[in-house]
Amino acid sequence: MKTKILNFCKAAVFFLLLAVCILAATVVVRRKESSYKYADFFDKAKNDQIDVLFMGSSHVINAVNPATLYRNYGITAYNMGGHGSVMQATYWELIEALDYCKPKWVVVDAYMLEKDYQYLDVMEENADPGDINTSVEQLHLNMDAWPLGRLKIAAVNDLIKDPDKRNQFLFDFIVYHDRWSELDENDYRALTGNADRNQLFGAEMRYDVEKTPVTYPDPQEGALLSGHTVGQEYLRKIIDECQRDGIGVVVTYLPFCADTDDKIAANSAGAVAGEYGVPYINMLDKDIIDIRTDLNDTGHLNASGAEKVSRFLGQWLTDNADLADHRGDASYSDWQNKADAYYGSISDMAASEDDLYTELELLSLNEVSGIVYFNQGSGAFHDDTLRKMVSNIAGTDTIYQANGPYILINDVGSGKTYEAFDDGFLGGVPTAMGNLIYQPVEARFRFLYAEENEEMNYLYDDEHADFDIQVITYDPASGEVLTHRYYRSYGNRYRTD
Amino acid sequence: MQFISFGFLIFLPIVVLINLIIPRKWRYVWLFITSAAFYLSIDVKGSIVLVLSILTTYFAGLLLDKEGDKKGRDKLIFVLCLIINIGMILVLKYLGFFERTVFGIIGKEAQDTIASRIIAPIGISFYVLKAISYLIDVKRGDLKAERNIVKYALYVSFFPQIISGPIERAGDLLPQFSYPLSVDYDRLRDGSMQMLWGYFLKLVVADRLGIFVNSVYSGSGTSGLVTLLATIFYTFEIYCDFGGYSHIAIGAARILGIDVMKNFDSPYLSMSIAEFWRRWHISLSSFFKDYIYIPLGGNRKGTVRKYINIIIVFAVSGLWHGANYTFILWGLLHAVYQIIGFVLKPVRDGAVKLFKVNRSSFSHVLYKVIVTFLLVNFAWVFFRADSVSQAVGILKTCMHPAPWALTSGELFAHGLNEANMLLALIGIGILVIVDIMNYKGVVIREKIMAQGIWFRYLVAIAAVLVILVCGIWGPGYDAASFIYQQF
Repeated sequence: MKTKILNFCKAAVFFLLLAVCILAATVVVRRKESSYKYADFFDKAKNDQIDVLFMGSSHVINAVNPATLYRNYGITAYNMGGHGSVMQATYWELIEALDYCKPKWVVVDAYMLEKDYQYLDVMEENADPGDINTSVEQLHLNMDAWPLGRLKIAAVNDLIKDPDKRNQFLFDFIVYHDRWSELDENDYRALTGNADRNQLFGAEMRYDVEKTPVTYPDPQEGALLSGHTVGQEYLRKIIDECQRDGIGVVVTYLPFCADTDDKIAANSAGAVAGEYGVPYINMLDKDIIDIRTDLNDTGHLNASGAEKVSRFLGQWLTDNADLADHRGDASYSDWQNKADAYYGSISDMAASEDDLYTELELLSLNEVSGIVYFNQGSGAFHDDTLRKMVSNIAGTDTIYQANGPYILINDVGSGKTYEAFDDGFLGGVPTAMGNLIYQPVEARFRFLYAEENEEMNYLYDDEHADFDIQVITYDPASGEVLTHRYYRSYGNRYRTD
Repeated sequence: MQFISFGFLIFLPIVVLINLIIPRKWRYVWLFITSAAFYLSIDVKGSIVLVLSILTTYFAGLLLDKEGDKKGRDKLIFVLCLIINIGMILVLKYLGFFERTVFGIIGKEAQDTIASRIIAPIGISFYVLKAISYLIDVKRGDLKAERNIVKYALYVSFFPQIISGPIERAGDLLPQFSYPLSVDYDRLRDGSMQMLWGYFLKLVVADRLGIFVNSVYSGSGTSGLVTLLATIFYTFEIYCDFGGYSHIAIGAARILGIDVMKNFDSPYLSMSIAEFWRRWHISLSSFFKDYIYIPLGGNRKGTVRKYINIIIVFAVSGLWHGANYTFILWGLLHAVYQIIGFVLKPVRDGAVKLFKVNRSSFSHVLYKVIVTFLLVNFAWVFFRADSVSQAVGILKTCMHPAPWALTSGELFAHGLNEANMLLALIGIGILVIVDIMNYKGVVIREKIMAQGIWFRYLVAIAAVLVILVCGIWGPGYDAASFIYQQF
């Protein structure tokens, strides 16, 4: 009997050790994208610091920057948007989130409201297998971070039809074990909870500029989706859930190159919001972004667009949501630190970026001062996107009058911009670099110097005499030149070589 | 429910636990119930064939075992029962093949007939051979017929063996069902370790090699060296696949208190083809030897007859593996190897004498092992190929080595990246070491069990983790079946 008990104890110890090792292996091999996104959510929710949750698809991920909301309005928000999240996935994301926190407001974006299928591993009839695969993979990004429990089982059962695939969500080791050959340091850091994490409270900024945005015809006035869709059903459930919990809810339709069907879906989202008497903001109808400069691609905003949308939403929440301003509260210092880090990174990126569009996009965020110069005959004068970006930075339409040359000085420190074009000159405009004097002389020669240092002509050097575009960035406070980049235009493409 | 399924990993512990609780004399009932459930979970329709095989051989056995002078009747019963059982295999497994062959001879296009759509029940080639061996043993008087139908049904359908053997003899198994061994802690550990080794061979080595092999065999334009490597990988794949299965089966039986015969004994260390067949798929080889080769006269009726018998046995062996000319050719190749070996024996002996070769020297042993391995490897090309022409194509490609494939990146363009290739090679390395030790009579498992507890735990936990993490399983891989299951 004694031997049996001893053997039983030995077996128990063995299985315990084995279980610990398997658990550790599960943590190490798991894809980190999901925990990367939600790591801060769990921390902030634990400390009851989240006042607003932004729910929706990748449109939300790229359009709402909680760092902007905190920096400008003191609002603590978490971006819960999921790549490819249809409304039912968004609903379950919210249900999972509400298990950890009780926000004061939920902002839900209604993109893909027209989708009328229940299961993400089935989608519509005759759906492309590649699309189904992507849909399931994207759901992993949303679901993997949530621990196995009653809610997760219910969510997976509701979103996935195939029992085998359901198991892959509940026990993701099934899917991820073969990552063993691609593990890196970050994967092992997950064991100690020190893996990389999203520094923008769930948001992801993009920095490209869509050069060929498309516009589509508007539908008939008041046109709505013809039938009841699964998307609408789950938007109702989201609103129901929030209202039941006493959480303020606002429905949005974020801006992008919406086609006619999207616009009808946007109208329908408004109708659903109207049924429940909750506010609805259809940003397709509002002049918040400029699709010529603020889109990363036809579907998603870039950082410039996100800044505008986030500020709009921050102002709306400030005006309507009665939220506390947490700025200055020591216990919220991490929010401040991360917001500062984000805006600090804009300066760094502007200094390292060698794509002209992106550089101008970053300059438009007014985190770093800049000088933009287009020489006479530059292709930039025929590039609508570029001219619009310059116009946005300048805050004027002067660029459109210019035949060349053209100069813009955006002195962020003083908040002033200065422009000159054709034969025009600038005489001692005050900037952080000093009182700048600009004087065009001939096609390949012009002056830009500070009165305090007349020897230094910023706009000319022999090596770059035939480059037609120059962008200089400088520190808004000290005036120290950070970068001086030369571009040559080839049609609407710009190269630094 | 396959051995490599979550279902089995839940099923087996439950079976073992209840088996531990049940009184010894009733364990066979429990094992029969679970064996029936196991088979039904795999192949419901096929269970009809299984039942038919069990019933015919059971009642035939009883009739054959009756006292009295009834030679004529016995012969009739025996032949009828054989016809029924072999007939089931022929119809269910080979009818389509025979039909295609006949159509080919008369130049007709094979249509979508019933024969071509028949799917042979899982494990039919294995459990029918078990039933037949029982029948023959009873007929010969080597074995008393089993009166208890449940015990007999369990013998034929014992779940660790039903899919792919080992093809155990009734004389070894039936007494164990009547008097099963006590399952103690050591037996549980030992059986579990053997199962772990089987899972390692199957999931980590065989299925990893299979990715490379399948890619090469299904593609075109592959260079010679990579193709040659694929043929060698297949040689290890099939061993790890079937050997892995056998270890899982033997280990599972062991923790149920049943000892099952060894099915592989370091086959690739054989120094001749004859030795290879004493070490490869031992249960099948001994079946063919005892029930076909020896009854045909074996080597007792002259040299020519001996060669004919060898050809017959290996042709049957090839056909048993599958309804395709590739399998028959594979079997015949092994027969030819052996016959040439016998014919050239005087020459070989003369050469050894002339060059004063020390037969027990390492270099000579290594030479013989390598030659045998290469001959076996050559034959496996036919076994693996979908058609004879594909096999010939593969062999032709191997003749153009193109060694730059090793550095041009082609090596890693067949589903295995550097890490996976390295792991596959490490797996083969471990297998070779274990087999060499086994050849020398050292059982690694026993050596591990003799170590301190921390070492045992370390090895066992590492093994489980390697299998779980590095094993080829989960979505995207079809690792759900064993190669020999199709036979």
